[in-house]
Amino acid sequence: MEILYAVLVLGGLGFGLGFLILLVDKYFHVEEDPSIDEVVELLPRYNCGACGYPGCKEMAIGLLKKEAKPDQCKPIKQEALAELRKYLDNHFNQNK
Amino acid sequence: MSDLITLAFTAFIVENIILTKFLGICPFLGVSKKRSSALGMGLAVLFVILISSMVTWVLYKYVLESLSITYLRTIVFILVIASLVQMVEIFLKKISPALYKALGIYLPLITTNCAVLGVAILNINNNHSFVETVVYASFISLGFIFVMYIFAMIREKLDYSPVPKAFKGTPIALIVAAILAIIFSRFGGII
Repeated sequence: MEILYAVLVLGGLGFGLGFLILLVDKYFHVEEDPSIDEVVELLPRYNCGACGYPGCKEMAIGLLKKEAKPDQCKPIKQEALAELRKYLDNHFNQNK
Repeated sequence: MSDLITLAFTAFIVENIILTKFLGICPFLGVSKKRSSALGMGLAVLFVILISSMVTWVLYKYVLESLSITYLRTIVFILVIASLVQMVEIFLKKISPALYKALGIYLPLITTNCAVLGVAILNINNNHSFVETVVYASFISLGFIFVMYIFAMIREKLDYSPVPKAFKGTPIALIVAAILAIIFSRFGGII
């Protein structure tokens, strides 16, 4: 019986707090450059920090500002790296 | 009332969370290079500590104790703290993007800031009432802001001081922190 309480309390709490975060996120949503998300999709999303940025999202912002180079990412696969380069070239050519 | 004042004073100076309990050292060294970011970090921590202590106190007294599952204390407290930090992050991103950028990785790291969990658990261990919890949590975090601000001021001055090359940066900051801790340890005799 006691284990049921534990499961219910933790599960309920997790669900409630998750819902609260969802509400806060909806209410305080910040519009961002959609290309940041697209670059994050192309990165490995391990958030390993080997590139020198705290996470893949920060790395993506750095890439789009031309502060970072794609090969700073250590765990990325060769094909993905080529794709990332292609995307960034396209992106920068379009915005010229 | 005088009990509360004693508690507040103890939390603020005598049992200062950074310099006598040595909790929350990570932001103390990490975000104290500039006064503005030290203050911003302090205010974020104040918010998280205050809200999380109140929420965890209520949860502990009315849910965990009445169901006699107090062994879940740590995990429940961490869950509450983590979600609060997440909310603060979303909130700051909207309200003050500059501060959000200045705090960087240290903002999500409040989750693992031992000062936050430390205060929540100390409130339970010391059998504080709800009012005492609020007073204790707010003055502990005010003490946190106070020490962060002093330390940031000293570090700003240190940048322009002729420090020997071997001591430049973090080493001299650690020495300053040690001297501050020695000063604060002497407040122990007041009460």
